[in-house]
Amino acid sequence: MRLAVFVSEYREPAMLERLKAEKLGIVLVQNGVYHAALKKDGNVSPVLSKDVEYYALSEDLQSRGFSDSDVVDNKVKVINYDGLVDLIFNDYEKTIWL
Amino acid sequence: MGKITIGCFSSLVGSMSLDFAIKFSDAAVKKGHEVDLWLSGNGTMLGKKGQSKFRDYSYLMDTVMELINSGKFKITNCEACAKARGIGREDTVEGFGVASMDWYLASAFSTDRILHIGGE
Repeated sequence: MRLAVFVSEYREPAMLERLKAEKLGIVLVQNGVYHAALKKDGNVSPVLSKDVEYYALSEDLQSRGFSDSDVVDNKVKVINYDGLVDLIFNDYEKTIWL
Repeated sequence: MGKITIGCFSSLVGSMSLDFAIKFSDAAVKKGHEVDLWLSGNGTMLGKKGQSKFRDYSYLMDTVMELINSGKFKITNCEACAKARGIGREDTVEGFGVASMDWYLASAFSTDRILHIGGE
Protein backbone atom coordinates (compact mmCIF):
# COMPACT_ATOMS: atom_id res chain seq x y z
CA MET A 1 0.00 0.00 0.00
CA ARG A 2 1.19 3.53 -0.81
CA LEU A 3 0.17 5.82 2.03
CA ALA A 4 0.28 9.63 2.18
CA VAL A 5 0.10 11.04 5.69
CA PHE A 6 -0.94 14.68 6.02
CA VAL A 7 0.58 16.39 9.05
CA SER A 8 -1.33 19.61 9.66
CA GLU A 9 0.01 20.67 13.07
CA TYR A 10 3.40 21.65 14.48
CA ARG A 11 3.69 18.80 16.93
CA GLU A 12 4.88 15.23 16.49
CA PRO A 13 1.83 12.97 16.10
CA ALA A 14 2.43 9.76 18.10
CA MET A 15 0.60 7.82 15.39
CA LEU A 16 3.49 8.42 12.96
CA GLU A 17 5.66 5.85 14.73
CA ARG A 18 3.08 3.09 14.17
CA LEU A 19 2.45 3.64 10.45
CA LYS A 20 3.95 1.11 8.05
CA ALA A 21 3.44 1.05 4.29
CA GLU A 22 5.17 -0.22 1.17
CA LYS A 23 5.62 3.47 0.29
CA LEU A 24 5.04 6.14 2.94
CA GLY A 25 4.96 9.86 2.25
CA ILE A 26 4.56 12.62 4.83
CA VAL A 27 2.83 15.71 3.45
CA LEU A 28 3.33 18.81 5.61
CA VAL A 29 0.40 21.24 5.29
CA GLN A 30 -1.00 24.16 7.30
CA ASN A 31 1.04 24.56 10.53
CA GLY A 32 2.70 21.23 9.74
CA VAL A 33 5.03 23.13 7.38
CA TYR A 34 6.84 24.49 10.45
CA HIS A 35 8.42 21.01 10.72
CA ALA A 36 10.13 21.77 7.40
CA ALA A 37 11.14 25.35 8.11
CA LEU A 38 12.10 25.58 11.78
CA LYS A 39 14.87 24.17 13.90
CA LYS A 40 14.67 23.73 17.69
CA ASP A 41 17.93 24.14 19.60
CA GLY A 42 19.73 23.74 16.29
CA ASN A 43 18.03 20.46 15.46
CA VAL A 44 15.53 19.75 12.72
CA SER A 45 12.13 18.41 13.74
CA PRO A 46 12.06 14.72 14.77
CA VAL A 47 9.21 14.34 12.26
CA LEU A 48 11.90 14.60 9.55
CA SER A 49 13.94 11.72 10.96
CA LYS A 50 12.16 8.87 9.22
CA ASP A 51 13.19 7.04 6.06
CA VAL A 52 10.18 8.18 4.00
CA GLU A 53 9.34 10.73 1.32
CA TYR A 54 8.66 14.28 2.54
CA TYR A 55 6.67 17.07 0.93
CA ALA A 56 5.68 20.56 2.09
CA LEU A 57 2.92 22.71 0.60
CA SER A 58 4.45 25.89 -0.81
CA GLU A 59 1.28 27.98 -0.35
CA ASP A 60 1.32 27.20 3.38
CA LEU A 61 5.05 27.96 3.65
CA GLN A 62 4.58 31.30 1.91
CA SER A 63 1.54 32.33 4.00
CA ARG A 64 3.77 31.84 7.05
CA GLY A 65 6.55 33.99 5.66
CA PHE A 66 8.85 31.24 4.41
CA SER A 67 10.16 30.82 0.92
CA ASP A 68 10.91 27.43 -0.65
CA SER A 69 14.62 27.94 0.11
CA ASP A 70 13.93 28.32 3.86
CA VAL A 71 13.26 24.59 4.09
CA VAL A 72 15.80 23.23 6.57
CA ASP A 73 16.21 19.75 5.12
CA ASN A 74 16.63 19.14 1.40
CA LYS A 75 14.89 15.78 1.53
CA VAL A 76 11.64 17.78 1.84
CA LYS A 77 10.23 18.42 -1.62
CA VAL A 78 8.23 21.67 -1.86
CA ILE A 79 5.07 21.25 -3.93
CA ASN A 80 2.07 23.42 -4.73
CA TYR A 81 -1.61 22.42 -4.84
CA ASP A 82 -1.25 21.23 -8.45
CA GLY A 83 1.65 19.02 -7.48
CA LEU A 84 -0.28 17.73 -4.48
CA VAL A 85 -3.20 16.67 -6.66
CA ASP A 86 -0.83 14.71 -8.93
CA LEU A 87 0.85 13.19 -5.88
CA ILE A 88 -2.42 11.92 -4.43
CA PHE A 89 -3.72 10.55 -7.72
CA ASN A 90 -0.47 9.09 -9.09
CA ASP A 91 2.01 8.36 -6.30
CA TYR A 92 -0.22 7.27 -3.41
CA GLU A 93 -3.43 5.30 -2.90
CA LYS A 94 -4.51 5.92 0.67
CA THR A 95 -4.40 9.05 2.78
CA ILE A 96 -4.47 9.81 6.48
CA TRP A 97 -4.93 13.30 7.96
CA LEU A 98 -3.26 13.93 11.32
CA MET B 1 -8.57 11.48 -14.84
CA GLY B 2 -10.04 10.31 -11.57
CA LYS B 3 -12.32 11.13 -8.73
CA ILE B 4 -11.54 12.06 -5.16
CA THR B 5 -13.94 12.15 -2.24
CA ILE B 6 -13.07 14.60 0.52
CA GLY B 7 -14.75 14.67 3.90
CA CYS B 8 -14.18 17.82 5.95
CA PHE B 9 -15.43 18.14 9.49
CA SER B 10 -13.74 21.34 10.60
CA SER B 11 -15.18 24.83 10.74
CA LEU B 12 -14.96 27.71 8.33
CA VAL B 13 -13.63 30.05 11.02
CA GLY B 14 -10.87 28.94 13.36
CA SER B 15 -9.59 26.14 11.18
CA MET B 16 -7.60 26.13 7.95
CA SER B 17 -8.86 22.76 6.80
CA LEU B 18 -11.87 23.99 4.85
CA ASP B 19 -9.58 26.45 3.08
CA PHE B 20 -7.32 23.53 2.25
CA ALA B 21 -10.21 21.35 1.06
CA ILE B 22 -11.54 24.04 -1.29
CA LYS B 23 -8.12 24.99 -2.69
CA PHE B 24 -7.27 21.32 -3.22
CA SER B 25 -10.64 20.77 -4.92
CA ASP B 26 -10.03 23.78 -7.16
CA ALA B 27 -6.64 22.44 -8.24
CA ALA B 28 -8.06 18.95 -8.80
CA VAL B 29 -11.03 20.16 -10.91
CA LYS B 30 -8.75 22.39 -12.97
CA LYS B 31 -6.69 19.26 -13.74
CA GLY B 32 -9.80 17.50 -14.97
CA HIS B 33 -10.58 15.35 -11.93
CA GLU B 34 -13.97 15.05 -10.25
CA VAL B 35 -14.42 15.98 -6.60
CA ASP B 36 -17.12 15.07 -4.10
CA LEU B 37 -16.88 17.21 -0.96
CA TRP B 38 -18.79 16.07 2.12
CA LEU B 39 -19.19 18.58 4.95
CA SER B 40 -20.02 17.42 8.44
CA GLY B 41 -19.86 18.91 11.93
CA ASN B 42 -18.75 22.53 11.94
CA GLY B 43 -17.85 22.16 8.24
CA THR B 44 -21.56 22.64 7.49
CA MET B 45 -21.08 26.35 8.26
CA LEU B 46 -19.74 26.68 4.73
CA GLY B 47 -23.21 26.05 3.32
CA LYS B 48 -24.92 28.82 5.28
CA LYS B 49 -26.56 31.51 3.15
CA GLY B 50 -25.83 35.19 3.63
CA GLN B 51 -22.20 35.06 4.73
CA SER B 52 -20.28 38.30 4.32
CA LYS B 53 -16.91 38.81 2.68
CA PHE B 54 -14.76 40.36 5.41
CA ARG B 55 -11.02 40.75 4.97
CA ASP B 56 -10.01 38.88 8.12
CA TYR B 57 -12.34 35.94 7.62
CA SER B 58 -12.03 33.01 5.29
CA TYR B 59 -14.49 33.54 2.45
CA LEU B 60 -14.65 30.61 0.07
CA MET B 61 -18.02 31.07 -1.62
CA ASP B 62 -16.75 32.60 -4.88
CA THR B 63 -14.47 29.60 -5.45
CA VAL B 64 -17.20 27.19 -4.35
CA MET B 65 -19.69 28.66 -6.84
CA GLU B 66 -17.12 28.44 -9.61
CA LEU B 67 -16.51 24.81 -8.72
CA ILE B 68 -20.21 23.96 -8.60
CA ASN B 69 -20.68 25.55 -12.03
CA SER B 70 -17.81 23.48 -13.42
CA GLY B 71 -20.03 20.41 -13.26
CA LYS B 72 -17.13 18.35 -11.86
CA PHE B 73 -17.66 19.20 -8.20
CA LYS B 74 -20.40 18.14 -5.80
CA ILE B 75 -20.65 19.61 -2.32
CA THR B 76 -23.03 18.19 0.26
CA ASN B 77 -23.88 19.17 3.83
CA CYS B 78 -24.72 16.61 6.47
CA GLU B 79 -28.41 17.30 7.15
CA ALA B 80 -28.25 16.37 10.84
CA CYS B 81 -25.08 18.33 11.57
CA ALA B 82 -26.48 21.36 9.75
CA LYS B 83 -29.83 21.21 11.51
CA ALA B 84 -28.06 20.86 14.86
CA ARG B 85 -26.48 24.22 14.04
CA GLY B 86 -29.75 25.83 12.91
CA ILE B 87 -28.92 25.51 9.22
CA GLY B 88 -32.02 24.10 7.52
CA ARG B 89 -32.48 23.54 3.78
CA GLU B 90 -33.95 27.01 3.48
CA ASP B 91 -30.75 28.46 4.97
CA THR B 92 -28.49 26.50 2.66
CA VAL B 93 -26.76 28.02 -0.38
CA GLU B 94 -28.20 27.07 -3.78
CA GLY B 95 -26.07 24.32 -5.33
CA PHE B 96 -25.23 22.60 -2.05
CA GLY B 97 -26.68 19.16 -1.55
CA VAL B 98 -28.18 18.22 1.81
CA ALA B 99 -28.13 14.53 2.70
CA SER B 100 -27.49 12.02 5.40
CA MET B 101 -24.11 10.35 5.75
CA ASP B 102 -24.93 7.56 3.33
CA TRP B 103 -24.19 10.09 0.57
CA TYR B 104 -20.60 10.24 1.84
CA LEU B 105 -20.37 6.43 2.06
CA ALA B 106 -21.79 5.93 -1.43
CA SER B 107 -19.31 8.47 -2.77
CA ALA B 108 -16.46 6.78 -0.92
CA PHE B 109 -17.31 3.44 -2.54
CA SER B 110 -17.34 4.91 -6.04
CA THR B 111 -14.18 6.98 -5.88
CA ASP B 112 -10.49 6.55 -6.67
CA ARG B 113 -9.09 8.43 -3.68
CA ILE B 114 -10.42 9.48 -0.27
CA LEU B 115 -9.19 12.29 1.94
CA HIS B 116 -10.90 12.46 5.33
CA ILE B 117 -10.10 15.66 7.20
CA GLY B 118 -11.13 15.52 10.83
CA GLY B 119 -12.72 18.24 12.90
CA GLU B 120 -11.39 20.52 15.63
